[in-house]
Order: sequence, then C-alpha cells, then structure tokens
Amino acid sequence: MEAILTYIIFLPVLSAFFLGISGASLGWLRVGAIVSSLAVLVLSAIVLNGFDPSGGMQFVRIVPWIQNYGISYYVGVDALSLVFLLLIVLLLPILYIYIWKEQRKGYWYNMMLLQTGVTGAVLSLDVILFYLFWETMLLPIFIMIGRYGSGRFRYNAMKIVLMTILGSMSMFFSILYLGYSFFEATGSWSFAYNDLSGLQLGEQASIWLAAGFLLAFAIKIPLVGFHTWMAPAYASSPTPSVVILSSIMAKLGIYGIWRFGYGLFEGTLLHYAPTIIFFALMGLIFYAIHAMREQNLRRMFAYSSGSHLSLIALGVVLANHYGWGGALYFVATHALSSAGIFLMIGLLYKRTRSIDMSGLGGIAAVAPKFAFFFAFFSLSIAAIPGTGGFVAELMIIIGAFKHSMWIGFVAALTMVSAILYIFRMLQEVIFGSTGANIQNFEDLSVREILMLLPLLLLLLATGVAPSLFMPLIEPQINSSLIWLMQMRGGF
Amino acid sequence: MSLLSLIVLIPFFSSLLLALVYLANPLRERYAFYTAVGVLAPVISTILAFQAGWEMLGNGAEFVIRERLFEWIALGEFKIAVAFMVDRLSAVMLFFITFIGTLIHIYAAGYMRGDAGYGKFFSFFNLFMGSMLLLILADNPIIMFVGWELVGLCSYLLIGYYYSDPANVRAANKAFILNRIGDFGFISALALLFVALEGSGYTFTAIQANLSMVDSGLLPWIGALLFVGAMGKSAQIPLYVWLPDAMAGPTPVSALIHAATMVTAGVYMVARFSFLYNEIPQIGEFIASIGALSALFAAIIAIFQEDIKKILAYSTMSQLGYMFIAVGLGAYSSGIFHVFTHAFFKALLFMGAGAVILALHHEQNIFKMGALSGRLKVVFGTMLIATLAISGVPPFAGFFSKDAILAAAFASEHYFIWGVGTLTAFLTAFYMFRLFFVVFLGPARKEHSIRPLSKMITYPLVVLAIGSATVGLLGLGEAYGGSDLFGAFVALPDQKMHLSHRNEYLLAALNTLMGFLGIGLAYRLFGKEAKRWSGDGAWQRLAINKFYVDQLYERIFVRPLFGISHFFERVIDRLVVDGIINSIVFGYLYTGGLFAMLQNGKVRYYALYILFGVSLVSIFMLSALEGL
Repeated sequence: MEAILTYIIFLPVLSAFFLGISGASLGWLRVGAIVSSLAVLVLSAIVLNGFDPSGGMQFVRIVPWIQNYGISYYVGVDALSLVFLLLIVLLLPILYIYIWKEQRKGYWYNMMLLQTGVTGAVLSLDVILFYLFWETMLLPIFIMIGRYGSGRFRYNAMKIVLMTILGSMSMFFSILYLGYSFFEATGSWSFAYNDLSGLQLGEQASIWLAAGFLLAFAIKIPLVGFHTWMAPAYASSPTPSVVILSSIMAKLGIYGIWRFGYGLFEGTLLHYAPTIIFFALMGLIFYAIHAMREQNLRRMFAYSSGSHLSLIALGVVLANHYGWGGALYFVATHALSSAGIFLMIGLLYKRTRSIDMSGLGGIAAVAPKFAFFFAFFSLSIAAIPGTGGFVAELMIIIGAFKHSMWIGFVAALTMVSAILYIFRMLQEVIFGSTGANIQNFEDLSVREILMLLPLLLLLLATGVAPSLFMPLIEPQINSSLIWLMQMRGGF
Repeated sequence: MSLLSLIVLIPFFSSLLLALVYLANPLRERYAFYTAVGVLAPVISTILAFQAGWEMLGNGAEFVIRERLFEWIALGEFKIAVAFMVDRLSAVMLFFITFIGTLIHIYAAGYMRGDAGYGKFFSFFNLFMGSMLLLILADNPIIMFVGWELVGLCSYLLIGYYYSDPANVRAANKAFILNRIGDFGFISALALLFVALEGSGYTFTAIQANLSMVDSGLLPWIGALLFVGAMGKSAQIPLYVWLPDAMAGPTPVSALIHAATMVTAGVYMVARFSFLYNEIPQIGEFIASIGALSALFAAIIAIFQEDIKKILAYSTMSQLGYMFIAVGLGAYSSGIFHVFTHAFFKALLFMGAGAVILALHHEQNIFKMGALSGRLKVVFGTMLIATLAISGVPPFAGFFSKDAILAAAFASEHYFIWGVGTLTAFLTAFYMFRLFFVVFLGPARKEHSIRPLSKMITYPLVVLAIGSATVGLLGLGEAYGGSDLFGAFVALPDQKMHLSHRNEYLLAALNTLMGFLGIGLAYRLFGKEAKRWSGDGAWQRLAINKFYVDQLYERIFVRPLFGISHFFERVIDRLVVDGIINSIVFGYLYTGGLFAMLQNGKVRYYALYILFGVSLVSIFMLSALEGL
C-alpha cells in the first residue's frame, strides 16, 4: 500500500522499457500499453477509495536518494493532486482507444513515457524530483510534434521546447537557490516540499524566487504574453499529445501556482496577485477575441483553452472558497471537455483530412451521432448548464465578485466570450449544406462512441450533480483557506 | 419523488428517451412512437400541474408547495438544492405553460409529420418543456438560471432546426449570443446578490427575508442587471434583434417558445423579484420606459413587414413591452395577467399562421395570400378571435389585460408611458387587422391549391380560441362588477394605485376607441384591395428596413471585434511577443557564435578544455567533501 503511488508513476514507463527491450510487436505493444494504463487506473481507484478528503497529504512515500544534498524520492497525494491524477489515469486509456489502429510504434512508447512524466509531476513532493518530471514530460511532446506532427511541425516543436525551457530554467535556478537558502538557514540540505514551505525568506529573495517559478507556470498555462508557442504547437501536434497538452499539461501550470506558489511563497504570491489577476482577465478576453477569426479548428480551440485557463488562473489567485473550488472544478471539467473536443477534431481529421472550417459543413445531415458528440463537447466548452463547466464558471464568477465587483464584471464576461467563436464554428462545421467532401462522412463507430462516452457522462454528472464531487475537494479547500488566513495574519 | 419533481422530470426523461432512440437509428420512421412519447409527456405534466393547481385553489394565498429533489452543490456558503416551489405566481405560469404547451405539442405532431428529423424535433421540444418548468418552479435563483439558460439552448437548437440553410443557423446563433449577453447581466446580478447575502441562504424566500442586509447602494445595480437578463430573453430594446430572426424555426416553435412561454420568462423573473423591485422604484421606471419604447418601436416596424411570422414576432415584442410597463410600475399582477392572456391569443395567432403557411405550401408572404376566409373556415374564425383579442376589443382576452396595464400607468401618473401605450394600442389594432384583412379577405393574389389540414392542427386552434375569448373575464375589475379574480389569486405585492371608477370607464372607452380606430383604418387601407407600402420617402424606407438596427450593430460591434481579433494576431502575437522571443533567440545565436570559435576542430584544444573542466570539478569536489 505504501508503494502504490510509485507503481502508479512508474508502471507505464517500465512497461515501455520492457516492451522496448523485448522488441515487442505492434500487437503486444498495444496490449502492453493498454494493460498498463488500465492497471494504473485500477490502482488509482484504490487510492481514491482509501483517500480521506480531510486527511491532507496521504499515501506518502519518502526514500532518501541523493543524501548529501537532501534530495529524496518523496511522493504523496492530497485532494489537489488527486484531481489531476484521476484525470490522467482516466484519459490515457481513452487515448489508447483512440490510437488503436496506429501503426507507428513511437506513438505508443511516447504516450507511456508521457504518462509517467505528468503523473510524477503531480505526485512529487520533492522540488528536484518535481523538476525532473516536469522536464521529462516535455521530451515525448517534443518527439510527438517533431516526428509525427503536421504543418510546420519541426519549427513548432522547437518553439514549444525553447519557450518552455526558458521557463523551467528560471524555475530550476529558483529551486537551487531555495535549497541553498535552506542549507544556510539550517545547516543541512533539503529539497522536500515540507521543509522548504516552512522556510522564512527575505522579502527581496522571495519575490525573485517566486518570479522564477511563476515564469515557468505562466508559460505552461500560458498566460497572455507567454502564449505564442500555444497555437502553433496545438495545430502541429498529433491528437493524443494535443489532448495531453490541453487537458493535463496546461493545467500543470495551475497546479504549480497552487502547490508551490501558495506552499512556498504565500506572502509573495499575494504580492503578485493583482498582476496575475490582470493577466488572467486580459487572457480571458484576449484569447476569446483571438479565437473568433481562426479557421483552423485546433488553433481555435487552443485559444479557447487559453481563455478558460486564464479564468482558472483567476480563480486560483482569488483565494476564497468559490474561486478555489471553481478553479479546481474547472481543471477537471475543462480537461474532460477539451479532451472530448480535441478527440472529435482528431476523428474529423481522420475522415476528411482537414481541420479547416472552410472546407467543412453539413456533417449533421450525414452523421448525426458525430454531430451530436461534436456539438455536445463544443457546448460544454461554452459552459452550458448541465455540463460541469457551467458549475465551475459560476463559482469562479461568484468568487470574483466576492473579491471585488469590477473583477467580477470582467470575469462574468466569460458568459459571453466563448460564444464569440463556438457558435460560428458549429455553423461552419456541422450545420449548413453538405459539401461533396462530406457526402461519404462515416458516422461514429461503436469503438469511437465507447471512447467518448465516459467523457460525456462525466461532464453530465459534474454538471447535474456537483454535490457528488465537491466533498472530495471541499475539506482541503477549507483547511487551506484557514491555513492561508493564519499565514496572512502572520505577515 | 412526487408531484413537482415529476412535472419537471417527465419531459426531461421523455426527451432523453426520444434522443436515444433517434440517435440509435436516425433514418428510421417511428412516427407513432415519437408522437406517443413526445405528446404524452406534456399531457402527464399537465394533469399533474392541474392537481397542484387544485391544491393551490383550496388553500390560502400564503400556501406554498415545496419539494426538494437533491442537493445540487455545497461549497462554503454556496449551498444550492434542486428544489421546487409552487406559489400563486408559479401556479399561474405552470397552468398555462403545461396546458398551452400540450396543445402546441399536439399541433406540432400534425405540423411536423413527415419531417426527417421528427424524433429529434420532439426530443428538443420536450427538453424545452422540462427546462421551462425548471425555470418557473425553481425555488432559488441559481436553479432558475439553469432553466433560463437551458430554454435558451433549446431555442437555439430549434431556431436552427432547418440547419441546411446557413441563414437559419445564423439566426440561431444570433438568438443565443444576444441571450447570453443578457445572461451576463443576470449572472452578475445573482453573484452580487449572493455575495451581499452570503451565509443567509439563497432561496427566493430567504432572499426576501434578508433583503435588508443588502447595501441600499447595491440594490439598483442588482435590479438593473437582472433586467439586462430580461432584455435578452424577452426581446426588449436593445437586445431584441434576435426575435424576428428566430422565426426561422418551425412554426410550432415560434408559437411555444417565441410567443407563449420562453419570451415571457423575463417578465416572470421581474415579478418573482417583485419584493426587490419594490425597493427600487427608479429602476422600475427605467424598466417601464424600456418596455414602452419597445412596444411602440416594434409596433411601428410591424406595420411595414410582409412576412406573416415576422409581423407576429414584432407584435410579440410589442406586447412584451406592455408587460414590462406593468411590472416596472409595480403593477405585477396586471403584468402577469397580460402574460397569461397573451399566451392564449399569441399562441393561437402563430398556430393559425402556421396552418395558413402549411395550407399554402410554405408561403409566408401575406401579399401572396388572400381570399382564405372561405377556404380555411376554422382558421379564419379562430384567427379572427385572436386578432380581436390582441387588438383590445372587449370582451376578448387582450382588452382586459391591456386596459389594466394602461390604467396602472395612468394611475401612477406616468402619463408619457401611458400615452405611448395608448398610441401603441391603436397601432396594434391597425397592423394586426392589416395582416388579417390581407390574408383572409380581398382577392386571391396567387393561385394556391389548398393543402387540407389535419384535426391535430385545427382542434387545438379551437380550444385556444375559446380561451382567447374568455380568459380575460378572469381579471374583470370591480368597476365592471367583477372582483379581479386573477389579481386576487396571484397575490403579488402590487404598488397601491387608485383610480376613480369614472376615470376607469373613460380609459376603457378610450382603449376601445383606439382599437376600433385601428381596425377602421386597416379596413380602409387593406379591406378591399391590399396595397403594399410604396417604399417612397425616407421614413417609410427607414421603417421597412427596421431602422437599420441590424446593420448598425454589425458596424459597431461585430466588425470591430473581428478587426481587433486580426490586430491581436498580426501585431500583438507576431510583432510584439514573437519579436521579443526572437530577439532573445538571436541574442543566443550571436553569443553562441562567439563561443563557437572555441570549437575549432583541433583535438589539442579539446584536450585542453577537458583538462580544464576536470580540474575545476576536482577542486569543487575537494572543497565540498573535504572542506578545503
């Protein structure tokens, strides 16, 4: 039981390793990937089952690693990381169903490596370990785009890697300096999250260190001004990695702000809060307007993703029940929605070899099931009630109004922002008259429906009965708020 | 699960069932199954609604039926349950929505027969019924908002029902976008109100009880923002432009959603928050002014329209304006009374128009109709009653409700609003009888073979005609020997207004006169031969082109937004952000170039570097490990 998180993290990459050295055939590779992802799913269900929402950090495992520098293998799960974990383990099997017929073995190996990277990042409680996973997940993305991508994929792969590394380097310097500060203060090295969060830093140092972390997270999300890698990377990336990019990796920036921003620099984060709020509100509107005239579906939903992640970032820095609850809820529901829509775009591409709106139209007439799922996921992005996104946006809006009326008004623009592009897109893609290239459009197969159904059902469940899910995150939000209140009192 | 939950959930379940069956095999004809499920659901809801109504009638005004289905969310103080409430106000709404809704479902089963998407249509139609019932029965504003948004979604889906024509999809988009702009106001108001009342509960009852906790400077904001939501949903200036375009949907949709039920949700919402609006009469006056303006503006445009459904759409907007005059001035029961009577005669008008359209093989231009009085007798007779009702001719339904509204405007000394309302009454009679005369009388302008109408289409017309002729009597005031049964039943916190009986008679006489004048003028101009407007003169052109409001919005909102979007891509992204990044990259390349000189390919130098590196590492290791 103690080692369960370790299995969850490393099972995928170990499977990949053994499949690789045994030279597994494509059939075995497929079976191996799916079995490992399902095994991880079952293990995560066990974690969920044994999880105590008000129990703080659980399933903790600490093994000293590089003892001289106090670096340890230190993992654990709390409500925050549990949400991410569940999303990852749920999405991967779905993605494997999606790439079921994929012949290129690299696809499968990369996805397994990617799963270990993202899982490790959300479960690590040692900052060096976190950093390692944080960089690990970039590698498969680089290969996916740079080898299997489309369009100007080489350039775009380089761009995402360079911009992301710019951020992670600054985070790495901050991490090293944090460890050094701990050494200066106590005489021994440690990079453990717990130790570092108790560290009293000078005001100036804290501001610079926080900036180092925040830059990495701002690029990952991306906040406005750090975003130019986003649309090209989404447009060039193959479907499985674009799903991971938008559903998981972008949200890891949010996770970072939450875990490390509040954990290590709560005072300084409040110092940066107005700036982040500004960037978040800007992003909400900037990206939405940006998306309006995009003809490429992937680019459009990239900007859409940016807009909603800005709103999530807003929720995180609001630091009240509704902002935090809404943000964490939105992390989950937006991951489901955007996974759904990017899968639909992938299916669309498989059928028509085009993701440019101008060549599409009239799908509803020939493929009603496809049209239904496509419209459902699009509308869930626009936060239609009955889908989880509505609940999340509602809570963030309330949190924003609680913070200040004017921030509330801008946040409430999210009601209007998504409709600027979603409805035009639906009109161009699934409605209208049926063009010649659509006449033979195949409707969804049973395999495809089974792949999409879990996403659809979860979105409905999160929208119709949020009370089923809230108890998982509410206790931690309460206790974190109380903790933050005390810390703020101390400042 | 009991009464109220079933009323709401049955249409939802039936919608789900229809959707699943339809999606499983969209091409298969299952007319009987779809009809049975699609029509049965509202019938059951209606029966249950009558049962609830019966219970309400047997009890006092304070009696409320409450039901809690499940907890929706609980986070911090944000505790919202999916719970229902029937008080007198929602009982009235419940009654006519289920009853008229059922009639329109029956009508639609006849109207949509043979359509390829028949099952999908009824799935959407039932989804709408469920959402609308959720909206009016919700016991808290959040669940009400959920219903409010869902009816907007259904409206979108049904306006764009004939999606192969891009114009219809554009109309659907426009409806949803303008509604969402309104909802921006609505949700802001709800959030402000919640934050102001945090911790004291968020049901309508709790809000009413704790309203004094809200800062009095905040209340006007909340009231005005709520009304922004109503502007969108109920098509008032400036958010009305979607309603005429919404006529792209099938006619039963126009009758149910865009005439009888959904568009009146804004009025219902204001009445639901009557306790709040009573605190802020200045916002109420603003609402009444917007209502009066919308009523007049829409009536003027309606005079110049030629599409039968568009005329009716503008007339809906105009009548909604009347309702907002009433609720704005605190005459809530008169406003709701007009909602009630309007639902009968406007649904009838649309269904009659639909019958004509169907009989003439989808002809919608009134100037291509004519001489139908003998050939479509039932439609002619029922449409006559409905047209008389909307024109304010006693004793038909519209007369009493409109009279009550104008009397309230007069009694509360809002003479300008009263004047506008009275003028609009004249215009209403004029344009409605223009439609009536052109369609049913005069010579046949185009030879049509008349397609016979099924009983499913004509019988509901007759039922609604009886309603349009009689329901007005429910609001017969004491000046006429009645006792305002309707007003007494809904028991809303109306502002006290006094009007002497003499003035009441005078006003009623004036309204009747206005109605007859309008009819007379219409007969003079259109009774014998139907002349189209010449389109000469700036004013006529302006009115025929709907005052160019659509074009204006296109100019000042839509195009600039696309322009900004373009600017973001070309300037902000490519020049500014990528410019900075590229300069960093080229900076690296330049520095890299300097270092590259070291990499000159001579092994000797490389050996030197290695030695240098190893030495540095050794020194570091020694100092770290041995403390040198």
